[in-house]
Amino acid sequence: MSSLLAKGSPLRRWGPWIAVVVVAVGILSIATFGTRSAPTAQDRVSTISRSVKCPVCSGESVAESNAPASQEIRRQIAEQVQQGQTDEEIRSFYAAKYGQAILLTPSASGVNALVWILPIVAFAIGIAALVIVFRRWSSMPAERATDEDRELVDNALRAEADDIDDDPHGEGASR
Amino acid sequence: MNLALGRAGVTLGLAAAVLGVITVGYGLVRKRPDLVRLSRWYAALVFLGGFVAAFAMERALITRDFTVKYVADNGSTKTPALYNFATMWGALQGSIILWALILGGYLVAVVLKFRKRLADPLVGWALFTMLIVCVFFFGLMAGPANPFKGFSPPVGFDGPGPNPLLQNNPLMAFHPPMLYLGYVGFTVPFAFAIAALITGRVGEGWLLATRRWTLIAWGFLTVGIILGSWWSYEVLGWGGYWAWDPVENASFLPWLTGTAYLHSVLVQERRGMLRVWNISLLCATFALTILGTWITRSGVLESVHAFTTSSIGIALISFFALIVFSTVGLIGWRGDRLRSPGRIDSPLSREGAFLANNVLFAAFAFVILLGTLFPLAVEALNNDRVSVGVPYFNRMTMPIGLTLLFLMAIAPVLPWRKASAELLRHRLIWPAWIGIGSMIFAVIVGARGFIPVLAFGLGGFAAGSAGRQIALATRRQGWRGFVGRANGGMVVHLGVIIIAMAFAASTSYVRQAEFTLTPGQSAKFAGHTLVYEGQNVKQESAKIVDQVLIRIDGTGPWAPSLNKFANGNQTIGTPSVRSTFTDDVALSVIDIKDGENGSVTIRVTVQPLIIWLWIGGGVMAFGTLLAVFPGRRRNPLDAVSAPLSVEPPKKPTGVTP
Repeated sequence: MSSLLAKGSPLRRWGPWIAVVVVAVGILSIATFGTRSAPTAQDRVSTISRSVKCPVCSGESVAESNAPASQEIRRQIAEQVQQGQTDEEIRSFYAAKYGQAILLTPSASGVNALVWILPIVAFAIGIAALVIVFRRWSSMPAERATDEDRELVDNALRAEADDIDDDPHGEGASR
Repeated sequence: MNLALGRAGVTLGLAAAVLGVITVGYGLVRKRPDLVRLSRWYAALVFLGGFVAAFAMERALITRDFTVKYVADNGSTKTPALYNFATMWGALQGSIILWALILGGYLVAVVLKFRKRLADPLVGWALFTMLIVCVFFFGLMAGPANPFKGFSPPVGFDGPGPNPLLQNNPLMAFHPPMLYLGYVGFTVPFAFAIAALITGRVGEGWLLATRRWTLIAWGFLTVGIILGSWWSYEVLGWGGYWAWDPVENASFLPWLTGTAYLHSVLVQERRGMLRVWNISLLCATFALTILGTWITRSGVLESVHAFTTSSIGIALISFFALIVFSTVGLIGWRGDRLRSPGRIDSPLSREGAFLANNVLFAAFAFVILLGTLFPLAVEALNNDRVSVGVPYFNRMTMPIGLTLLFLMAIAPVLPWRKASAELLRHRLIWPAWIGIGSMIFAVIVGARGFIPVLAFGLGGFAAGSAGRQIALATRRQGWRGFVGRANGGMVVHLGVIIIAMAFAASTSYVRQAEFTLTPGQSAKFAGHTLVYEGQNVKQESAKIVDQVLIRIDGTGPWAPSLNKFANGNQTIGTPSVRSTFTDDVALSVIDIKDGENGSVTIRVTVQPLIIWLWIGGGVMAFGTLLAVFPGRRRNPLDAVSAPLSVEPPKKPTGVTP
C-alpha cells in the first residue's frame, strides 16, 4: 500500500488526473441523465418550425419569417403538436405537401446523402494523410548536426549578438 | 458634375492600374529597376482614382444628385444622414467602389511600408499582383457594375431610398467597411505569396514580411463578421444572430482558412516546413473572398442578406477560376523548391497540434462550403431542389467545434518538437480543474444536456490553458507578457472561448414563444414577466414607427416596432432587446391588429449569454491588437524546444528515401 502512494509512484503522479476524469464523468452523467423539464408544446413548435423552410421567402425558416404563409404554418404545427403527432410525422407532412426542399435538414437518402457522407470521408482522408506523413517522418533518419553545422550556428549566433538585426529584409536563412 | 467626376475617378484608377501592370511587369522581366520603382506612382494614382470615385459618389448621395442612377435607385431625400452616407455600400455598384478604395489604400500602404525595397523583385511582383487585382475591380466599375450610370430624373423625382433593412441600425455604417477591410486585406499576403512563387524565393522571407498584414486583415474580418451577426440580431428580429445563411458562410469561409493559415505559418517560420500547404491556404483564403463576393452578389443562392442581384456573377467566377488555376499552376511549377527537408518528430508537439488544428479547420471550411453550395450542385446535376439549413450546420460543426476547444486547451502548453506525458500531466492539471469547475458551475446554475455541459467544461479547460500562458508570460516579462504574437494570441483564444460558450448556451437553451396580448394583459415566459402597456405611433422623416410598449420584469418600457416606410410598401419590424449579462429577452412584433382593442402578437425569444458574443468579439479584436504590437525579441540563446535526444542512433543511418 505504501509503495502505491510512495513519491513518484504512478498512482501518486496520475492521481489528480484520475480524480479529474472521475469527477468529469460524474458531472457529465448528472448533466445527461439528471432530471430536466420535458420540452413544452411551445418548445416543440419552435424546434420544428426552425427546421421547416418558409415556402415564400428566401433563406429563412418558418420560425424566423413573418410572412403570412409562415405564420399559418406555425399555427398549423402548433395544432399538430396538440394532436399528439411526433416531430417526424409533422416534418414528413410538410415534405409531402411542399416537396423535400421544404425541410432544412436534407434527407440521408439518394444524392442528398452525399452532403452527410462527404464531410466524414474528407475528414477521414485528412486524418489518414496525417498518419501517413507522421509514419514517413518517423521512418526518416534523425538529422545529425555535423561540425560544419555547429560552426555555422556559432557564427550566426555571434553575428546576431553583435547586431540583432543583421537581416533587414527579413529573408531568413535560406534552407 | 458628380457623374463626370466619378467616371474620371474610375477611368484614372483603371488606367493607372493597367499601365502599372504593364510598366512594372516589363521592368521586372527586363530587369529594369527604374521601371519597377515607378510602381509607387501608379499605386498613388490608383488610390487617387478610387478616392475620387468614392468622393463623387458620397457627394452625389449627400446632395441627392439623382442624375446618378445609383442615387436615383438607392438614395432618397428622406433618408437620415448616417444611412444616406452608408448607402454607398448598400448596393452592388457602390460596394465595389468601397472595395476599390480600400484596395487602393492597401496598395499605397504596401508601397509606403516597403518604400526602400521597391526594386526588390519580391516586392515588385507583389505590387504587380495587387495591380492586377486593381485592374479587375476598376474594370468591374468601368463595365458590368458601373456605379456612374446616368439618369434623367423627372421634375420632383425622389428615389426609393436604400433597402429598409439597411436603414434600421447604425451598425450598417460599420459592418461592411470592417468586413471589406478584412476581405481586401488578404490581397496583400496573397500578392506576396504569388511573388514568392514567381521569384522562386519561397523561403520564409515573404512570410515574415507579411505576417502583420495577415493578422490585421484577419482582425478586421473577425470584427466585420461579429458586427454583421450583431446587426442581424438587432435588425432581422427572429431572435437569432447566426443562421448559416450563404452570405454569412461566405464571410466565415475565408475566416476559417485564414485562421488555419495564422497557425500553420508558425510551423514554417520555426521549422521551414509546410510551404506548399501555407501558400495553398493563403491563396484559398483570397480565392474564397472572391467566391464569397460571387455568392453575395450574383444572387445564385437564396439569402436574406442578398440585397442585390446582378450580372457580375460571370466576371467574379471567372476571376475566381483565374486565381485558382494560376496558383495551382505556379505551385506545380515551383514544386521542386517548395519541398522542405524537415520533419516533425512527434504528433505530441506544438507543430503536431498545429497540423491537427489545420485538419480541423480545413474540415470545418469543407463542411460549410459543401453545405452552402450543395443545393446549387444538386439542382445542376439532378434538377432537383434541396435545402441545407441551420440543423445541418449545427449538427455537423458541433463535433469539430468541440474538438477545436479541446485542442485549444492542449496546444498552448506543448513545446516545439516533442512533449512527454509527464510534461502534459504537470502543465495541464490546473487548466483541467478549471474545466471541471466550470462544468460544476454550469450544472449548479441549471445547465443540463451532455453536449452543452461538455462544451462548458472544454471551454474552461481551454481558458485555463490560455490563462496559464498569459500568467507565465506576465510573470516573466511584466506588461510585455500581454503583447506580441504568442501572448496576444492567447487573449484572442480567450475571446474565441467566450464566443463558443455563448454560442453553446444560446443555441442549447433558447426558448421562443408567441403571445397575443391586449393592453394591460401580461404573460409569463421562461422566468420573465411581460406586460403590454399600449402603443405609440411616431412619425419620422422616412418612416412611420408603430411601437408596442412592453415592460419586461418591470423594466422598460421596451419598444419593438413595425416600420412603414414612406417609399415602398414594405413593413419592417424592428426588434427590441433587453440584454443582461445572464440572458437576453428579444421582443419583436409579428402583427398589430388594426381597429380591434389594440391587440398585438409578439414573439419573445429568451437566450442566455448573448451579450458575451459581442464581448468575446471585443476581446478577440483587443487580442489581435496586442498580437500586432511588437513583442519581446526572443533571446536567440533561449531554449524553445525540447532538447534533442543525445543517445546515438541505434543502427547506422540508412539512405533517405
